[in-house]
Amino acid sequence: MRIHVYERLWLVASMILIVAFIATVTYGTVGLGITMVDDREETLSPGDIDEDERFEDPRIEQVGENEFEAYVVAMTFLFQPDPIEVPANSEVTFYVTSRDVIHSFTVVGTNTNTMVIPGEVSVMTVEFDEPGEYGIICNEYCGVGHHDMEAELIVVEEDEFDLTELSVDAPDTVEPDAEIELTATVSNGLIDDLEATVTVEIGDETFQEDVTVGGDESEDVSITVDADDLGEGDHDWTVTVDDYEETGTVSVASDTDENDDGSENGEDTTDENDASSTVEDRLS
Amino acid sequence: MTQLFVERFPDQARLVRLAFFNSFAAFGIGALFGLIQALHRTDVLRIVESPTYYTVLTAHGVFLVITFTIFFLVGLYQWAVTTSLERRPVDMRITKAWYWLMSIGTVIAGITILAGFLDDPPEVLGSQLSADVLFTFYAPLQGNPLFYVGLVLFVVGTWLAGVDWFRTWWAWKGDNPGARIPLPTFMVLTTMIMWYISSIGVAVAILAFILPWSLGLIDSLNPTLTRTLFWYFGHPVVYFWLLPAYLLWYIVLPKLSGGRLFSDPLARVVFILFILLSTPVGIHHQYLDPGIAEGFKYIVMTNTMFLLLPSLLTAFTVVASMEHGARQRGGEGYFGWLDALPWRNPAFTGMALAGLVFAFGGFTGIVNAGMNINYLVHNSAWVPGHIHTQVGTAVALTFMAGSYWLIPQLTGNRLVWRQAALVQVLLWFIGIVFMTNSMYRAGLVGVPRRTAEPQYAFEYDVGVGSMTELDFQLALGGFLLFISAMLFLAIIFMTWRNSESEPIVDGTIPPALSGPEDSPRVLDNLRLWIAIALVLVAIAYVIPLASIVTRGGLFGPDIGPFPVFTDPMILLEYGSKLIGMVVI
Repeated sequence: MRIHVYERLWLVASMILIVAFIATVTYGTVGLGITMVDDREETLSPGDIDEDERFEDPRIEQVGENEFEAYVVAMTFLFQPDPIEVPANSEVTFYVTSRDVIHSFTVVGTNTNTMVIPGEVSVMTVEFDEPGEYGIICNEYCGVGHHDMEAELIVVEEDEFDLTELSVDAPDTVEPDAEIELTATVSNGLIDDLEATVTVEIGDETFQEDVTVGGDESEDVSITVDADDLGEGDHDWTVTVDDYEETGTVSVASDTDENDDGSENGEDTTDENDASSTVEDRLS
Repeated sequence: MTQLFVERFPDQARLVRLAFFNSFAAFGIGALFGLIQALHRTDVLRIVESPTYYTVLTAHGVFLVITFTIFFLVGLYQWAVTTSLERRPVDMRITKAWYWLMSIGTVIAGITILAGFLDDPPEVLGSQLSADVLFTFYAPLQGNPLFYVGLVLFVVGTWLAGVDWFRTWWAWKGDNPGARIPLPTFMVLTTMIMWYISSIGVAVAILAFILPWSLGLIDSLNPTLTRTLFWYFGHPVVYFWLLPAYLLWYIVLPKLSGGRLFSDPLARVVFILFILLSTPVGIHHQYLDPGIAEGFKYIVMTNTMFLLLPSLLTAFTVVASMEHGARQRGGEGYFGWLDALPWRNPAFTGMALAGLVFAFGGFTGIVNAGMNINYLVHNSAWVPGHIHTQVGTAVALTFMAGSYWLIPQLTGNRLVWRQAALVQVLLWFIGIVFMTNSMYRAGLVGVPRRTAEPQYAFEYDVGVGSMTELDFQLALGGFLLFISAMLFLAIIFMTWRNSESEPIVDGTIPPALSGPEDSPRVLDNLRLWIAIALVLVAIAYVIPLASIVTRGGLFGPDIGPFPVFTDPMILLEYGSKLIGMVVI
């Protein structure tokens, strides 16, 4: 075949260019370790998401020193959990699946980007060096509300990050001659111990207790107050642990009072007030 | 001067005109929807509700990349086969059959899509008449069954068109034993071979899975499988759009430049490379998909990079042909010859600008193909930036420029408003530069594609410039493109009406500088190239498809349908069900 000499040169240069492109991509994969989303996870039917221990409660878990796993569920038109909080200087592996149609899990302005296909679980490991805030969006058309599908990713300072949960168990009403027992449960999702001070305020009284909660454990702190000391009426209480706060009200009232005053409280049969706070209720 | 095409083959000229009519009608509607989108996304003007934006987007995609491009292709190829083999189809009834199949398919799919604008679309075949599923119709999003039926009829029509052209060639071969296939016909046949190999994928996806599923005959499907089958077709289809433009660049552009094609053998090699490499690359659209192993992604990445070769060869041959033409016209010097090109001819200038944009867009395609950098741009506005430089300009502007040369030969009328036609192609070029500059840059900062409202709670980190400036460029570009499209349609319409005139156009194509006799005959052995292509497809696809089916099952791990309606009440019900699920 007769090919003009310039065209031969062009052909050779083109082949060199192509091989060079392939080499750079190969370097990115082997040298820089940019791995692809792939088929490492088993398929998971959308109907089984609520029975899957990873996705039944979408959350962040610590799995090693500076290593975390995030279990994320995408659905029309939201992500769970939202916001997603991770510490700086960490390595987070995201597991993402879809409850319905094809979505994406895309951290805007970064290369953290994967398709989320129902029946499949996408896995990608991301290093977070610096604190910052990012938008998470779905960038695959998923239906009429597609443009509303967004969430937030917050990378917090390493020493400000925790996986603490606070829940409080306290009665709603007590007899004037009874005791009010209030139990705060502090659980620690991190591997390292959590040193914290539990502060309980009720009426004019304040109690403080230092607790050490082991990794992946929880501790109860109970305080007891004589209802008489508070007197009859409604009394607000507040429990704080680090940045977490729970509040509630306890009524001190005698049975007879309550019967007389049935129009207001008589049908209020719940005598326990369970409150729990997770990351969503954080104050700061 | 030889006789005009319309005088030699009046019935064929009529058929090509009909195909172009469908093409241009779709172009007009698609362009209008494009303008609506450009203004809506940027929040300059929102004349539809945001959920309806996706009806507009579906119509924009289907009308432009299916109807406009492929009707132009069949018209152009009918012209190319007829004129290069100097003969009519063996059986004109088949020719009419494919034209009508494609037309009916378009109308059915079109009605289904446009019904999405109704407040209360009627029930047809068990579900609402609408199909806001975009051009890619990824299951489990579900459109009305008629949408898929329309697509099937359309594709079957294109298959029949290929049969028609092959029969014309076989008849010609009988009369001309031992002769080399004329280059235009060679290009038509190779394109159709690529199309047969690749469109099987979408046919299986629709006929075996999506259509029966939309009719309620099967409950579940495997979205990874239907998506993979779609992209098996979805990448080669871009070459189905592109190769008619290549035909014009190889056959018509050298002549418009004042010369002749530089190398016939290399043109054949280029088209053969497209048969071989177009299909085993589709998974590069799925770099970010779970359920496909990294190794398969790597294989298609290398195949994709080699697809650069035919385009780089084309760049050489086309530019060399233009330079040869310019020197025939008295051009001199290293770059001085550029001056001697016929820049006042809209057909030439349109194609040359289209080629320029294609070269730039080709490099952005390499970014897409680079599987690790693809993470940054996947499904961002960068991708429609790439599509609009390649299909929206390299292909569309070449088709428009080619029309300025072809329509007079198909109608026997002189092209009207040559100055306006020149303005039209320039306007398109300027519009696309503004619009895609905005899309590419917005994509790099993470602005998503395919969304009615890319305005979120967070701020994009635009390094240089601002979102306001990017939005302005997008809206301005979209507006200029719309004006250019309307001007094109007006010029074509007026030319068609301009029957009291004699065209000044010479339809003869001079032979190539280096003709087919300079190439081995094996290039014309189409059976050989088909066999190699099938082997490459098997290497790229058999194991991934087997793996997808083994993992998720042929009908998927219990994936139900999600019909897409724009009715807000249905959305509310849907939302409350989901919230119920979440609470439980």
